[in-house]
Amino acid sequence: MPAKFDLNDSSVVVVIGSGAGGGTLANELAKKGISVVVLEAGRRMELTEFKNDEIGMFGAFTWFDPRTSSGSWYVAKSSPDLPAWTCKLVGGTTVHWGACALRFQEHEFKTRTRYGAIPGANLLDWPLDLKELGPYYDRAELRMGVTGTHGIPRLPASSHGKVLFAGAKKLGYTQYMTTNMAINPVPRDGRAGCQQTGFCVQGCTFGAKWSTLYVDIPQAEATGKAEVRAESQVLRIEHDASGKVTSVVYADRAGNLQRQKARIVAVAGNSIESPRLLLNSSSSQFPQGLANSSGQVGRNYMRHVTSTVFGIFDKPVHMYRGTAQSGIVMDEARLDTKRGFVGGYNLELLPQGLPSFATNLMPGEWGRDRASVIDSYANIAGVWIIGEDMARETNRVTLHPDRKDKFGMPIPNVHVDDHPNDVAMQQHAFQQADALYKSIGAKRTVHHLPFPSTHNMGTNRMSEKPQDGVVNRFGQAHDVKNLFVSDGSQFASSGGENPTLTIVALALRQSEYIADQMSKGAI
Amino acid sequence: MRHMLLREWVTKFSRRGFLRGGAAAVAAVAVSGPNLLAGAAEAAGLSAEETRALLKMTRDLFPHDRLDDSFYAKAIAPLQDEAAKDAATRKLLSGGIAQLNAATMASAGASAGKPYADVSDENVRVAAIKKIEGGAFFTKVYGGTMTPLYNQPELWPKFGYEGPSSAQGGYINRGFSDIDWL
Repeated sequence: MPAKFDLNDSSVVVVIGSGAGGGTLANELAKKGISVVVLEAGRRMELTEFKNDEIGMFGAFTWFDPRTSSGSWYVAKSSPDLPAWTCKLVGGTTVHWGACALRFQEHEFKTRTRYGAIPGANLLDWPLDLKELGPYYDRAELRMGVTGTHGIPRLPASSHGKVLFAGAKKLGYTQYMTTNMAINPVPRDGRAGCQQTGFCVQGCTFGAKWSTLYVDIPQAEATGKAEVRAESQVLRIEHDASGKVTSVVYADRAGNLQRQKARIVAVAGNSIESPRLLLNSSSSQFPQGLANSSGQVGRNYMRHVTSTVFGIFDKPVHMYRGTAQSGIVMDEARLDTKRGFVGGYNLELLPQGLPSFATNLMPGEWGRDRASVIDSYANIAGVWIIGEDMARETNRVTLHPDRKDKFGMPIPNVHVDDHPNDVAMQQHAFQQADALYKSIGAKRTVHHLPFPSTHNMGTNRMSEKPQDGVVNRFGQAHDVKNLFVSDGSQFASSGGENPTLTIVALALRQSEYIADQMSKGAI
Repeated sequence: MRHMLLREWVTKFSRRGFLRGGAAAVAAVAVSGPNLLAGAAEAAGLSAEETRALLKMTRDLFPHDRLDDSFYAKAIAPLQDEAAKDAATRKLLSGGIAQLNAATMASAGASAGKPYADVSDENVRVAAIKKIEGGAFFTKVYGGTMTPLYNQPELWPKFGYEGPSSAQGGYINRGFSDIDWL
C-alpha cells in the first residue's frame, strides 16, 4: 500500500519524474527499504483509459506546456513550439514508447576516443563502458521482459516486418529480425502477451508492453515505502549553506506551492525539463544554476538523426496491423567511416494509422500528388532512421528570457543546428532505405523529415572530469553530492539505439550506489 | 512556414476543454457542428456561398475522388463553429474566400467571371489557391480541416484502414502476418 510522507520528513529521497529513469529508480530504492516520494508533473491514467485513438491519445499524453525552439534544424520550422514529443503523465514516455530495447554498442561509449576530435562537435567518452554496464543491461532486460534476450522468444514478424526483411535480404543485409522488444510475446511477469493490436504508441491496452505506469510504480507502492504525487510540478530545488540540497518546491494539483524536504533529490524529468529545473534552481551560491559550475547544464542536447521513408507498393501491406515497431535492420549501425560519417544508424519499422499518416505526411503540401499517396495507404510500408547525433555545446536547452509558464517558471528553449555528420548520415540512410524498398518493387518512396523527438539526451551529461560535464559515472552531481540525475540527460553520447533500456540500466546501477552511499552515511 | 498543424489543432481543442473528456471527444468534435450541406449556415457565421467555397477549397487541398462531400462538410465544421463565435476568424475566412473568388473571376477562358466554387476546371481553382498559399488564410484552412477530415472513423475503411483493434482482440488472429506477395 502506498506510503504517505510528511512534507517536513527530511529522510526521504525525492524522485522528480516517473518515467524510465525515475520510475525504475523509485521502485528499486523502495524495494531496498528506502523511503521515496515521487513527484510527477502529469496526471495518473489507468490502463482502462487508453484508447486505440491516435489523435486522442496524442492529446492525452503529450507534454504541451509551452516550449520554444531555435536553430537551423527542421523541427524549429515544422514544429517550433513543440520541439520534442515527450509525455506528461505518470509513467512518462514509457507510456507511449515503441518498446525497442537495444543495448548501446561498445564504441558508442567511447566516442571521443574512437571518433577523434570531430570539428564542431563536443564529443566525450562516457566514464563507464559496455562491460561495466553489461550486468545492469542483463537485469534491465529481465525485469522488462525483452524479447530475444535471456531465453525470451522474439515476437512473430508482421506483414509490415516481412516487407522490411525481404527488402533487407535483397539488398544484401544480414542483420534483420524482429527487434529486441520490451513487449511480452506470451504472458509473463503478471502481464499479458502481445495481441498485435498495432496501437503501442497510444498506450498498450493489454499491458503487454513494459511501462513504469503499471509495472514499477505499483511495485514501488506495494512496498509501503513509496508515495507518488501526480500533478505535482517541481519548480525549484533548494540547498543549504553547505551546498547540499535540502528540499524541493512544487506546485500541487490545486496549483498551491508546497515544499518537500529531502535527504537526496534525483532529477528524472527528461532531457529538456531536467536541465530547465537545474537552471531555474540558481542561487547566490550557484549563480549559473544548480550543479552547473562546468557550464554544461543544458548543453550537448542530442536527439537522434532521424527521418522516415515510406515505400508505396502495388499490393497490400496493412502496416497498421501488428506490434508497431517490431522489425529492425542493424547492418548500418556499425562504425565504418568509409560511409562518410562517424557513428551508425538502425532502420526500425514505423507504421502509422491513417489519421497520423495523413496529417503528418509531406507537411505544407497539398493537392493531387499528396492525396494520391494517402490513397495508397493500405499498400505502404514505413521505416524510421535512428542514428547517432553529434553532441555540440551550442545545441542546448536554455531558460527563455521572457516567457514563463503558469507557475511563473521560465519556459525552456531548445536550440539545435544540425552537424554536417548528421546530414551525411541522413542522406546515406535515405539512399539505403529507398534502395531497400525499391529492390522489392516499391513504385515510389516518400521521405519525411524528423518529427519532434521522443529521444532526448545529453543535457546533464556524465563525465570523468567535473569540468566536462554535470554528473559522475553514477549520475551524481559533481558539485552537489546528494543530487542525482536519473534520466537520459546523463548520456555522454546518443548512440544509434533507442535510449530507454540504457536509462533503465543506469537507474538500476544508480540505485545500488545511492543505497550504498546512504548506508555508509556518505549522503 | 509552420507545419505541425495537428499539434495546433489538438491543443486548441484541448484548451477549449474537449480533450478533458477523453479520446472520444476528439472524434466527436470532427462530426459535430452544423450540417452545412443542408444549408443551415448560422446567421453570425459564414454565408452559404462562403461555406460552399470553403468546402470546395478543402476538397482541392485534400482531393480524394472516393470521398463524397459529406466528409468535407464534417472537415470544415470546426472552422465554421469558430467563425460563428469569433469575428476575427470569420473575417479571415471571408477575406480569403473573396481572394479566391477574385482570382477565378479574373481568369481567362470558360472560368472567367465565375466565383471559385462555381469553377469546374480544377486547374483554375488550384491556380487560385496557389496565389494565397502560405498566407494566414491558407494556413488556417489547411491546419483547421486536415485532422477533422482524416480523423473520421467512417472515412477510414475507404482507405483500407481498420481503426481500433483492441476490442476485436488485436490482429493476432486476424491477419497481422498474412502478406502473400513477397
